[in-house]
Amino acid sequence: MLLRLDTTDTRPLHEQVAAAIRRAVAEGECRAGDRLPSARHLSATLDINVNTVLRGLRELRDEGLLEFRRGRGITVAEGAAGRSGLQIKVRELIAEASRLGYSRTDLIDMIRGTTA
Amino acid sequence: MTDGDYDKIGRAGRERTARWGRAGCVAAVAVLLAGLPWAARDRLPGRLATHWSGGAAPDDSMPLWAAALFPAGLWLLIALAVSVRWRRSWPAVRPWRTMTLAPTATALIGAQASIVRANLDRADWHDAREPGLDIVLVLASTAVAVVLAWRVSTRPTRDPATATPALNLPEGERLVWFSRAANPWLQLLAALTGLIAVGALVALAVGLADPAGLWPVCGGCAVASLAGAAFSSVQAKVSEAGLDVSFGPLGWPARHWAPDAIESARAEHRLPSQVGGWGFRLSGLGTTVMLRAGDCLVIRPRGRRADFAVSVDDAERGAALLNALRRRD
Repeated sequence: MLLRLDTTDTRPLHEQVAAAIRRAVAEGECRAGDRLPSARHLSATLDINVNTVLRGLRELRDEGLLEFRRGRGITVAEGAAGRSGLQIKVRELIAEASRLGYSRTDLIDMIRGTTA
Repeated sequence: MTDGDYDKIGRAGRERTARWGRAGCVAAVAVLLAGLPWAARDRLPGRLATHWSGGAAPDDSMPLWAAALFPAGLWLLIALAVSVRWRRSWPAVRPWRTMTLAPTATALIGAQASIVRANLDRADWHDAREPGLDIVLVLASTAVAVVLAWRVSTRPTRDPATATPALNLPEGERLVWFSRAANPWLQLLAALTGLIAVGALVALAVGLADPAGLWPVCGGCAVASLAGAAFSSVQAKVSEAGLDVSFGPLGWPARHWAPDAIESARAEHRLPSQVGGWGFRLSGLGTTVMLRAGDCLVIRPRGRRADFAVSVDDAERGAALLNALRRRD
C-alpha cells in the first residue's frame, strides 16, 4: 500500500497520519481485512513518534475504518472504503465552510434544513 | 531482415553450439571414467577393490568391466536427469546444472583414479592400498569445482535496462510504500513443530519418556519452529531511506538498501520452480526470497553481479517508487 504525506501540511501530525491512511483506504490501497504495518513500523518509516501514530490510528478506529485485534494487529474494517470516502468528503465540507465563514453549527443547521 | 532477426539467429546458433559443447563434455567424462581402468588393465588384478570402510583393508570389490562401466553409467544417468527439462516453467538456461555436473564429474573422476591407483600392480584386490590421502584430494578438488562452477554460472542475470518506469513524485509529498507476503503452509509447519517441541518439553519435565531420545526431538522441533516462524512472512518497505526487507513477526533478520545503493528496480513474475523452491534461494536469477509464486520485487544492487528479489504483493509500484527515489537523489 502506498501512503502519501503532504510535507507542506500544517495540521497536527496525528491528523496527517490519519488522513494519509484514510486516503489509502478510500483509494483502495488496502482492502477490508488487510493488515496494516504495525504502529512501531509506521513510526520508524514516517519518522513520527509512535504515540502520535497510535493517536492517528485510534482516530481511524473510532471512525470505524480500522479494527484493533490482539494478536492479529491492526486490520482494515469491513466496508471501510465507502466510509473513508465519506469521511474525506465531510472534512472537505468543513474546511470549505470555515473558509467561507460558516461554523460547524451553521453547517449542521444547513444539513438539517436540506430536503433532498 | 532486421537486426533483431539476425540477433535471434545468432543467439539460436550460440545455444546450439553450447548444447553440443555440453553433450561433448558429458561424453568425454564418461569415456574418461570407463577408460581409466581399461587403460591400466595390464597392471590391475581381475577384480578391483572398490570399497573401504575406514580400515586399511578393502571390504568390497567389482570385476574390472563393472568397475569401468558402473561410474560411467552413474555419470550418464545424473547428466541425463539434470539435462531433461522436466517442467515447462523452468528457464532454458539453468545454471545449477553446471553447479551439479562439474563437482559430480570431479568427484567421480577423482574416485575412479584413486581406485585405479589403489589397485595398481596388485595381484589380488585384498592387497589393495588404502586410499587415505586420495580421498582428501578428491574432496578438496570437488570443493574447488563447486566454487569454480559457482563463479562461472552466476553471470549477470539480466540487463538492468528493463527497469520499471519511475513513479511520478509530486513536489511537497512524501510517499511510502508497504507490502508483505506470507506463506500459510510455512506458518502451519512452524505452529505444528512448535506444538511438538512444547509437548516434548512437557513430557521431559514430568519424566514421561526417556530424556536421551526426547531432547533431540524437542531441540530439533524448536529450531524448525523458530526458523519457520521467522521466514514464513516477509515485509518490504520503500521510503526515502531506501528499501527495507524484514522477515517474520519480529522483523528480524532484516536487510536495508539506500536508494543510491540500488542500480535499478523492477517487478517480475517468478515461480518457486524457477528459483529452486521456497524460502531463501540462491540461483541463476540471483538471490530470491520466495514465499509464494507470483509478483516479485527485483532489485540490482549497485556493483553486484546478481539480483535480489523478494516475493511481495504490488511489487510494480514498489519498484516504480524505488526508481523515482533513486533518480531524485
